[in-house]
Amino acid sequence: MIGRVRHVDDDLTALLDGALPGDRRAEVEIHLSSCPECRSERDRIARALSALSLTPPPPAPPPGFEQRFYARLAREAPRHRSLLDRLAAHPFRWLVPSTGLAALLVAGIWIRHADDRSELEMARHLDLLENYVEVASLGVVETSEDVDVVFHLDELREGRP
Amino acid sequence: MAPDPDAALMVAFQEGNEAAFRTLFERYGRATMAFCNRFVRDPARAEELAQDVFLKLHRSADRYQPSARFTTFLYRIATNHCLNEVRRGEYQALAEVDPKSQDGAPLDPDALPGTSATPEEVARGNALARDVAAMLSRLPESQRAAFVLARFEGLPYEEIAEVLGTTVPSVKSLVHRATVSAARALEPWSAGGAAS
Repeated sequence: MIGRVRHVDDDLTALLDGALPGDRRAEVEIHLSSCPECRSERDRIARALSALSLTPPPPAPPPGFEQRFYARLAREAPRHRSLLDRLAAHPFRWLVPSTGLAALLVAGIWIRHADDRSELEMARHLDLLENYVEVASLGVVETSEDVDVVFHLDELREGRP
Repeated sequence: MAPDPDAALMVAFQEGNEAAFRTLFERYGRATMAFCNRFVRDPARAEELAQDVFLKLHRSADRYQPSARFTTFLYRIATNHCLNEVRRGEYQALAEVDPKSQDGAPLDPDALPGTSATPEEVARGNALARDVAAMLSRLPESQRAAFVLARFEGLPYEEIAEVLGTTVPSVKSLVHRATVSAARALEPWSAGGAAS
């Protein structure tokens, strides 16, 4: 073809990296088969990549690498993440607002039916809610079955069937 | 995509498991230092930068989404941190000088390809590393980051795009331009490796 030749320089590195999509790769290879200029450029890049592969790795860290980091971590990172941080990251974090809402609900019912509810029963409900919050904050609740266990443990403690 | 065991460790750390974080450091701390050293060419500073990266990781763990590969998240923090560091400018001078201090320390002969490197091979390795480091220091920062991630960390273009927050065509262009610069700078090595 006489006239403008569309060279493929911009694709040569991606070609050598195996990062060209199949159809573009085929086009580039067809062009290379008839373009000594682009072939020469491809070979120049390939030689550079080959030289780069011989570059030695950077020096290894001196002994005590991990220990130095852990010492710095102990100095600079908060020793313990706060309860709020832990709750925010916990998969059962929904328990916190849920128990809060439930507590409000129970309190509302208690106020409305104070005459019908014994003080002891109310205390048991509040204990149970407190247990949920405490267990959630400890980060030991992994599954919904764990939540059931908290409920049943409370029943056992109360001596109920 | 296969499950990423490092992502599972990161999630465990998000839930308060400090041992999971230490496992990640033991797995990637040294590689992160090597990565940082590509930017600053100073092992002591590279170690500090790697520590900074893991401290940032420690503090920003809650922002990690398990949908992203852990190493992508780590490379993103490390790349941004290293680029911020080199923007300070004090490494430009270092790049042009001090032929005896590639990375500030002689290379460990045991770290060279092959276990029985001769003194000549060690010297050639040091000289090549020096030329590569000088070439890197002259690249614009986005090309430099893309080049290091592609050539030394072996990341595919797609992952580099994620790390740099750009597109794959943009990465292709950055890596190509940097590689052409490298080909020019390393011509003596490419022509038979006789540079000395």
